[in-house]
Amino acid sequence: MTALISFAIYLGVVFLLAFFANRVGKSKSFLSEYFLGSKSIGLWAFAFTYAATAASGGSFMGFPSLIYTHGWVLAWWIAGYMVVPMIALGLLAKRLNQVGRIAGAITIPELLRRRFDSSLVGNVATLLVVFFMFFFLMAQFKAGAQIMATLLEGVDVYQRIVVALESATTGIPWIGAADGDYLLCLIVFAVSVIVYTTFGGFRAVVWTDVMQGVVMGIGVIIMLALVWKQVGGFESATRQLDEMTPPRFVTVELTRTGETGKEIRLPRGEWLALEEGGVVRLKSSATIASGEDRVGGVEALELTTPSEIERMKQLVDPDLEVVARPAGEVETYAYGDGRKGVYVHAPGPSQENPAGFLGVMLALSFFAFWNFSGAGQPSYMVRQMAFRDTVTLRRSMVMVAFYFGMIYFPLVLIFTCARVLLPGMEIHPDRIMPEMAAVLTENAGVPWLAGLLVAAPFAAVMSSVDSFLLLVSSGVVRDVYQESINPRASEKQVKRLSYWVTVVVGILGVLAVLHPPQFLQNLIVFASAGLGACFLMPMIFALYWPRTTAGGMVAGMIGGGTVILILYLVGRIVNGKFGEYLLLGLHPFVWSVFVSTSLILFFSRRGKPVSPELRKRFFGSA
Amino acid sequence: MEEPTSQDELGASFRQARKEFWFMIGTWVVFAAWTTGFNWLFASGRDGESVHIIFGIPSWVVLGVVVPWILALSLTIWFAMRFMKDTDLGEEAGTGEAE
Repeated sequence: MTALISFAIYLGVVFLLAFFANRVGKSKSFLSEYFLGSKSIGLWAFAFTYAATAASGGSFMGFPSLIYTHGWVLAWWIAGYMVVPMIALGLLAKRLNQVGRIAGAITIPELLRRRFDSSLVGNVATLLVVFFMFFFLMAQFKAGAQIMATLLEGVDVYQRIVVALESATTGIPWIGAADGDYLLCLIVFAVSVIVYTTFGGFRAVVWTDVMQGVVMGIGVIIMLALVWKQVGGFESATRQLDEMTPPRFVTVELTRTGETGKEIRLPRGEWLALEEGGVVRLKSSATIASGEDRVGGVEALELTTPSEIERMKQLVDPDLEVVARPAGEVETYAYGDGRKGVYVHAPGPSQENPAGFLGVMLALSFFAFWNFSGAGQPSYMVRQMAFRDTVTLRRSMVMVAFYFGMIYFPLVLIFTCARVLLPGMEIHPDRIMPEMAAVLTENAGVPWLAGLLVAAPFAAVMSSVDSFLLLVSSGVVRDVYQESINPRASEKQVKRLSYWVTVVVGILGVLAVLHPPQFLQNLIVFASAGLGACFLMPMIFALYWPRTTAGGMVAGMIGGGTVILILYLVGRIVNGKFGEYLLLGLHPFVWSVFVSTSLILFFSRRGKPVSPELRKRFFGSA
Repeated sequence: MEEPTSQDELGASFRQARKEFWFMIGTWVVFAAWTTGFNWLFASGRDGESVHIIFGIPSWVVLGVVVPWILALSLTIWFAMRFMKDTDLGEEAGTGEAE
């Protein structure tokens, strides 16, 4: 409950910031203020809004779960972030800001439209932004709702509201089939974000990003200190990790050892002793009905590391008159089963891939992906259009470099230690972050701190959602309505429409994730790869190569996006689940860069050169 | 990239931005080669060998990730404070919106 109070205080501050942002922005011209903070974002705000948007729900939910599942190899997986502040921030920023000012643009599609004096370029860009950004929104909404559900679990009032909501929505198509607790958290989360984004606009988003960035940083430092103390030093943790072997997924039969009488309910996550020695953890809840003495077909996770087995046996409830016995198939890791040292070396254990989690080509792909896909994200590009001057840019680069170093590497340390502190979390790895926050603070005797620690990933999710919301709505208002439908719209009309579009897009996002896809991180990687594929190379050419033509741009954007869609579709067919297909071991993003570059060069060289006026305007004496 | 426009026609700020662009690409190549090469040679496929630990973490992580990370941080500071030049970004052109 104390955790909930500190979390509520945090949310209160967020709303307060939106309120002040609204007051500050009142005197400014509406569109530029709502979508771009009047292009006057200073050092701290620029650095943190960039860092906080980059560190999305993926960094604080998906990334920890990957570290937990695959071990130290994730240090290599994330290593590309060492140059992200320089490249993702510097590659385009100066030119983007300059060209944005020359063009008088507020959005990315608008900038491209004016740079090439072509409506087609603008419309294709708008379509692609809205399409891929929507997947991002879905992923972030799901992450936000999940964090809230963890935080509120066990709170009495919350449980009563969940029951009431479930009975109220029964029978409503689509909505009624969603889980009550997830639905409630999703609604609360979405309403909070939509309200403060609509009310405060870009300035509120940036201000809350600053606060959220600070919360994330402090959260990681506190967790690192707590984990170091509780695990007995990092050397001890690494040594224990070196001894670990991956768990196995088993099907068990649960048998009553006492008298056949009352019903026995076993929640998900319960530890049980195996009849032949060893321990298992239930992947889902199970019930032995009264009058029955056994239940079969229960999915569980079996630990295989002797020291862990001994330790977890202590957690088996001695009053529980149930034993488990393997009955059915045993699913082992495709790479790493029974092998010591897999958690401290590359390529890391993998459930699906017999070659391990991270091959050398994939590692190289990710080194490219973090930097160049990062540079190609429209949500970062709009921030690069919003800084005040190049001094702000240069100093921000340094700040972000320190900040990323402070966040990403410590996260690897924290969650490799999580393997030691919390065995058996493979039953639900996406929940490792809130679970660790709860366990660490409880062990340290400061449960209220869990609220602040959980606020860190929540902050990450919020700061991403708000900027995506604005990006999608700016695409609709500025690039579709004002450009094509009603160029003479009054400020009042545009203002009202902007608010409504933000709200409607938010509601659509909620409806889309009522039955969320299972793999959060996959969805995030898909959306960022798609956006990077559509915009990275076209934007580089638009800013640095005067010869680029509108035809080249359109071909590059569509070609890049299509490569991602095709390779994900092939991945879906080949692997049987949502995920990418690694052609020759390389991530689809790398292929999209090749295709996009080739298409831009081919069509620009063949097409009619751009007019000398446009060339002079954007490359001449600027 | 081939330039159809003569250098004189291009603004000084554009040329400076392009110089910085190529520096960043070069930086990426160097650090990508370091981490990928080192970790491929010294971290991959060594399961079963006892892990060598420095400062509480596997030694390949120190040399293949932490050390280049610290160098990349230093280079970023130098790049931002020394190599990158300030540019007048110009005044905002009209955004075409109703005021």
